Amino acid sequence: MQVLDKTQVEAISRALKEPGWLLEKRLKALEAFARLSYPSKKDEAWRYTDLSEAPLEQEVETPKGLSLSRDELPELVKRRLEKTDVSGFLVFVGPDLVYAEVPEELSAKGLVFTSLAEALKTHPGKVEATLFRGVYVEDKFAAENSAFFTHGAFLYVPAGLEVEKPLGVFKVLEGGKASAGRSLIFLEDNAKAAYIEEYLSLDLPPTLHLSATEMVLRPGARLRHAHVQTLGDGVWHFHRQRALLERDAALNDLVVNLGGRYARSEVASELLGPGAESEMLGLYFGHGLQHFDHYTLQHHVEHHTRSDLLYKGAVKDEARAVFSGLIKLERGAQKTDAYQANRNLILSPTARVDSIPQLEIGANDVRCTHGSTTAPVDEMQLFYLQSRGLSRSLAQELLVKAHLADVLNRIPLKALRAHLEAVIEEKVRI
Amino acid sequence: MNQLEIRDLWASIDGETILKGVNLVVPKGQVHALMGPNGAGKSTLGKILAGDPEYTVERGDILLDGESILDLSPDERARKGLFLAFQYPVEVPGVTIANFLRLALQAKLGREVGVAEFWTKVKKALEVLDWDESYLSRHLNEGFSGGEKKRNEILQLLVLEPAYAVLDETDSGLDIDALKVVARGVNAMRGPNFGALVITHYQRLLNYIVPDRVHVMMDGRIVAEGGPELALELEAKGYEWLRERVKEEA
Ligand SMILES: Nc1ncnc2c1ncn2[C@@H]1O[C@H](COP(=O)(O)OP(=O)(O)O)[C@@H](O)[C@H]1O
Ligand SMILES: [Mg+2]
Repeated sequence: MQVLDKTQVEAISRALKEPGWLLEKRLKALEAFARLSYPSKKDEAWRYTDLSEAPLEQEVETPKGLSLSRDELPELVKRRLEKTDVSGFLVFVGPDLVYAEVPEELSAKGLVFTSLAEALKTHPGKVEATLFRGVYVEDKFAAENSAFFTHGAFLYVPAGLEVEKPLGVFKVLEGGKASAGRSLIFLEDNAKAAYIEEYLSLDLPPTLHLSATEMVLRPGARLRHAHVQTLGDGVWHFHRQRALLERDAALNDLVVNLGGRYARSEVASELLGPGAESEMLGLYFGHGLQHFDHYTLQHHVEHHTRSDLLYKGAVKDEARAVFSGLIKLERGAQKTDAYQANRNLILSPTARVDSIPQLEIGANDVRCTHGSTTAPVDEMQLFYLQSRGLSRSLAQELLVKAHLADVLNRIPLKALRAHLEAVIEEKVRI
Repeated sequence: MNQLEIRDLWASIDGETILKGVNLVVPKGQVHALMGPNGAGKSTLGKILAGDPEYTVERGDILLDGESILDLSPDERARKGLFLAFQYPVEVPGVTIANFLRLALQAKLGREVGVAEFWTKVKKALEVLDWDESYLSRHLNEGFSGGEKKRNEILQLLVLEPAYAVLDETDSGLDIDALKVVARGVNAMRGPNFGALVITHYQRLLNYIVPDRVHVMMDGRIVAEGGPELALELEAKGYEWLRERVKEEA
């Protein structure tokens, strides 16, 4: 049995033929991982979360160097490829990048979209300049990812290049072993891109999944980012993302939790330069015993920055959801607009939501609002819809979709929106 | 038996008995009026017919074409052809009328309804109601005036074409023009395959929807029945007159 130790970190780094600086970073992360303890309910940020059944300390999967033709891709991915907005994409099965399609014309213009391992060979400077800047050793799971990650995706968009169609990463989890991967997105000045990362799997035995997404947006860069997980039951998904927005940079972010046994999303936007803007959308719908945690940070470091967060979700059966959002305004963050709203719909008496909006204001000339609502589904509305012949489940589906509509309507990626609607429909019926 | 029959119906809410032995029959092909003072139990009856889970039926039965529907859920009743136009239609933000109405029609017919078929039907209904197509993309009753809500109920009635409809004070709060529009909608449905129970507090509506029979409810019971002239008499003499008469008879 492997353990999460130095020998393994070195083995991973050696197998991936990584440069020395990266191994050093991994080993530093390992130190943090060893020092930090697993969170418990005593920790404020984990007080609603029960990790007693989580497959912590699970052995990490090792890359096999697998590669597939488009025809050989897993069914889950093929089905998604039939209906997707993406123009170029990478497919990971477990830790292996098994297939990639990147439009020639984009590569010709200097765009890089490939695995982290490949980028380390072809563009080492760009990776070294950005990797771990967003997510490194913030907590036990971040440190574990940084020390043990076996794969990742890298997107680099050169200055001024505007890519209209989204690029996608589809990752299929195989299960049984821990999987740790990353996304690193680096947009130079005034570059524009859209990036969708999707996590898919069948129902699996208990499986630990660690994902980290780092976004570096140079001045004037514009990124649309979506993190969408429709994982199968059994998966414990720990996701952390952080976007660094320089002057006039803009991020439109979306985090979707629909699958897995447990999913945690720690989502931060750092508004580091004047004029930076971050839209942060969240969508979740839990059923059965699913538990979704959302911890968000709108961090206004500089003046004249703007953030607008809307997280909407629903829970049924015995599902639970947590939203804990912090708007943090540094002393220099004058003329800031910061909005935060969390709205929850509860479909069964045994489902539960805890919503904790928080403000930490160090500046006075700002516009700041936050609000949260959590309410059961309206029985009068259900009766009205049913009285017109709609079954109770169809009526509930309509109400759930109506509840989530403001978020769905703010997603301009039509195929992605349709996909999410379809998954939501399915979940209402089970 | 092609009729909607309410047989010795007793019902309560929160432990309080509201209906105390209602007997009433609406044969298919006829339009009946149900009148009565505020608080008589008219809306209660309407909601119980539609299967509102808030109420408990203690005794009696409701038969649709001879079959009891008491054990059916609200949607099953609707699919069997029963329709209630609510006194207070419910606002459902985020759901457009078009989307909702098409789903309801599909549920009613038990099959897919193509866009073309749906639009043909809806357009005809909109014409009857003299209503603008733009309403279809509005959210269900959200921000509607009282009159718009009532018109929307009739729109649903016309599109879903139920076998039996209960219209609960669809006239209240309407000006005379809106009232005429609503009446036009109901009259458009009249025919051998449609039965209706028109609940109203006033006789005004009955000038435009002339009922085949009038039933009067007081304190959870039907206390008087008659032809259209009964409505006029009530209008002239008031409910107190009837209350006195009922007392004398007892
Ligand atoms: N939730 C409730 N609990 C107790 N009594 C109620 C409730 N709702 C209605 N009622 C009573 O039921 C009676 C009948 O009401 P309703 O059916 O609305 O009368 P109508 O439509 O004839 O004006 C009234 O006396 C009213 O106060
Ligand atoms: Mg009433």
